[in-house]
Amino acid sequence: MNSFLKRLLGVIPVVFGVLLLTFLLVHLVPGDPVEVMLGESATTADRTQLRAELGLDQPLPIQFVTYLGKLAQGNFGYSIHTHTPISRLLAERLPATVELALLALSIALFIGLPLGIVAAIRYRQWPDKMATVSALTLSAMPHFWLGPLLMLVFALWLGWLPVNGMESRASIVLPALTLACGLTAILTRMTRASLLEVLSEDFVRTARAKGLSQRVVVLRHALKAALLPVVTIVGLQLGSLLAGAVITETVFGWDGVGRLLVESIEKRDYPVTQACVLVIALIYVLVNLLTDLTYARLDPRVRFTR
Amino acid sequence: MPEHRSTASIVTCVKAFLLLAMVGLAACGKPATHDEIRFAIAQAPLTLDPRYATDAASERVNRLIYHQLVDFDVHYRPVPSLATWICSDARHCRFSLKTDGRTFHDGSRLTAEDVVATYRSLLELKDSPHTAEFANISDVLAVDADTVDFTLKHADDQFPARLIIGILPARLLAQAHDFSHHPIGSGPLKFVAWNRALQLQRVSDGQRFVLQEVRDPTVRVLKLLRGEADMLQGDLPPELVVYLKRQPSIVVKEVPGTNDSYLGFNMQDLVLRDVRVRRAITLSIDRDAIIHQAMIGGTRPATAILPPEHWAGNPNLKPYPHDPKEARRLLTEAGIRLPLKLVYKTSTDAQRVRLATIMQAQMQQAGIDLEIRSLDWGTFFDDVKHGKFQLYGLTWVGIKTPEIYRLAFHSASVPPAGANRGRVADEILDREIERGDWSAATARIHELLPYVPLWYEGQFLAMQAGFAGDHLSPDGNWDWMQTFRRKLK
Repeated sequence: MNSFLKRLLGVIPVVFGVLLLTFLLVHLVPGDPVEVMLGESATTADRTQLRAELGLDQPLPIQFVTYLGKLAQGNFGYSIHTHTPISRLLAERLPATVELALLALSIALFIGLPLGIVAAIRYRQWPDKMATVSALTLSAMPHFWLGPLLMLVFALWLGWLPVNGMESRASIVLPALTLACGLTAILTRMTRASLLEVLSEDFVRTARAKGLSQRVVVLRHALKAALLPVVTIVGLQLGSLLAGAVITETVFGWDGVGRLLVESIEKRDYPVTQACVLVIALIYVLVNLLTDLTYARLDPRVRFTR
Repeated sequence: MPEHRSTASIVTCVKAFLLLAMVGLAACGKPATHDEIRFAIAQAPLTLDPRYATDAASERVNRLIYHQLVDFDVHYRPVPSLATWICSDARHCRFSLKTDGRTFHDGSRLTAEDVVATYRSLLELKDSPHTAEFANISDVLAVDADTVDFTLKHADDQFPARLIIGILPARLLAQAHDFSHHPIGSGPLKFVAWNRALQLQRVSDGQRFVLQEVRDPTVRVLKLLRGEADMLQGDLPPELVVYLKRQPSIVVKEVPGTNDSYLGFNMQDLVLRDVRVRRAITLSIDRDAIIHQAMIGGTRPATAILPPEHWAGNPNLKPYPHDPKEARRLLTEAGIRLPLKLVYKTSTDAQRVRLATIMQAQMQQAGIDLEIRSLDWGTFFDDVKHGKFQLYGLTWVGIKTPEIYRLAFHSASVPPAGANRGRVADEILDREIERGDWSAATARIHELLPYVPLWYEGQFLAMQAGFAGDHLSPDGNWDWMQTFRRKLK
């Protein structure tokens, strides 16, 4: 438990670093939110006044400290453009991203793991070749291309699913499939490679020598050991999915965190950008922590050292 | 054999999943029938509070939710909308509210107090982009329930044309009501809800509209083709418009546009400050070829920001021809060693980049080596405002009054004081603008060439067959929503 707490505390400097870096980057890129808000006909006095009201006339270190102070009170601030509390924006967008990420991951696991297992069992036979070619093809498809392609096939030609939006439950299928395709490919290849390695180890040979069936050898003994690298990949991929699949969310009009982040960058809405990046960083760090914990559960040899 | 069995069971599971998925997907079926008219838009409005709106989508929606005192006729002369007016001199105007359009969507009556409260609140706001436009108002007073007097600090004979801000209820203004998300106006359409899509309802007959943001142009087209959207307007690359025209289930209406796309020069640049160089660049562009090959129908060559049919337009201006030989000669005469290397900045919009590439190829014939830099919007616009460019491309959208010439070309309007992004400084032009002699000012601009007016991009509305209505506007507004309806079967 102590070592877990230690790892949890280790998250703090990471998050602080992310905050500092985001703050600096956001303030150093060209574009002044005051000019965006007031337009080109405002007087210099108006700009100066608004800049002072927003605290943008203060030196960057003071702005950063003020920002940290508000964050410590759980106050993300307000959107410069819509005057909406950022916590409300995040509360609206985060569930959509989580829902999409979990479904994409489930699809990828449901297809990728069995495919990888079949490919490993049928090494160099037609199922293996098919799985390998499919995985390669899927991983070569960028989301901005695959998304419209799926829309064309499933929405326009077959008429099974809506093109985009979030109006019906079925709307989630195409963006989830788009995200799942690349992930399925990675999982298939990783499961196959890992299982092939494990299947040639001594303990598997021993299990077979004991007369255990192929099903028991693979599913009970080999697979558990082979899943370790797969878990790492799943953790990392889930982190990036939860961080907002920017392109997929934009193409499919999915109101998630990724889309909110892009919109805020376009409008130079500093507080929203900073809040989004902070939330994304936190998600990444927490998911990775969870992955480490899962690792320890799967393999008794892996333990957090004191 | 057991090996085969385990493989077979896994394959069976996957097959079963795929079968279930297909059955499930097929069950989703075609979009349900509906009564509302669904409009796919490229960009959702940022705010429904007219005091803050500057983006095109917000202004187009706010025109429909709120009534404004003044509107414009086909020649862009100000005409009464909510009120008629008489100006006793250039500093005093009296507005008399008409009888129609005076019921707010919450049932209360629009009075002179609401007009006063709206404009006073605008003057008090510190973060409104419109406050500066009304800084000349010295006082606004309700004479009675139907009459409002405006007094100005300085003479302004264009003043009535500025009063195009939607009128808000005074009672709600006093309560600091959130108009940006829950607007209450007195316009032809009332606000219903704004969750993922903006829902509006026509007051006259209850017809509902759903405005859904779909950023990707290809996806907008797919939604229209599948029947998930009933209509879309503008913001499509020309090839997609051509594709839509070929679809039997889709009707495309096109009208000539008025939004001027232009090529801006940096007049402080060592090379570009020579008018011969600017003229050479202008002569090197074959606008007719671009309009015919790469623009949508209704696009026409431009000679000034305001089109010739505008009351302050100048129909006598002749477009510069395409003459690469003369362009080359002018550059040589200006002492330029060819090829002349120039940098052109534009946004990342695919159509903008495509047009830049075409111009790059055309300019090559005149000995100009154009380097294209495509930047994200924030960076690009910031560079333009700070004069960090040689050439750039932009469009003036929704311009109604000749005041634009003061904002864009007067020497006192260099950013941040205005939009003189090319840093033009010409005493004669300044005087003509100050005199309000727009014919002379546009002729002077045409001669000086601080920018190249390229074209007024055509407007189009693509819709499912089976709708009736009119009002497709040259400036791309959404006033057609006041009349569009489904045809009876």
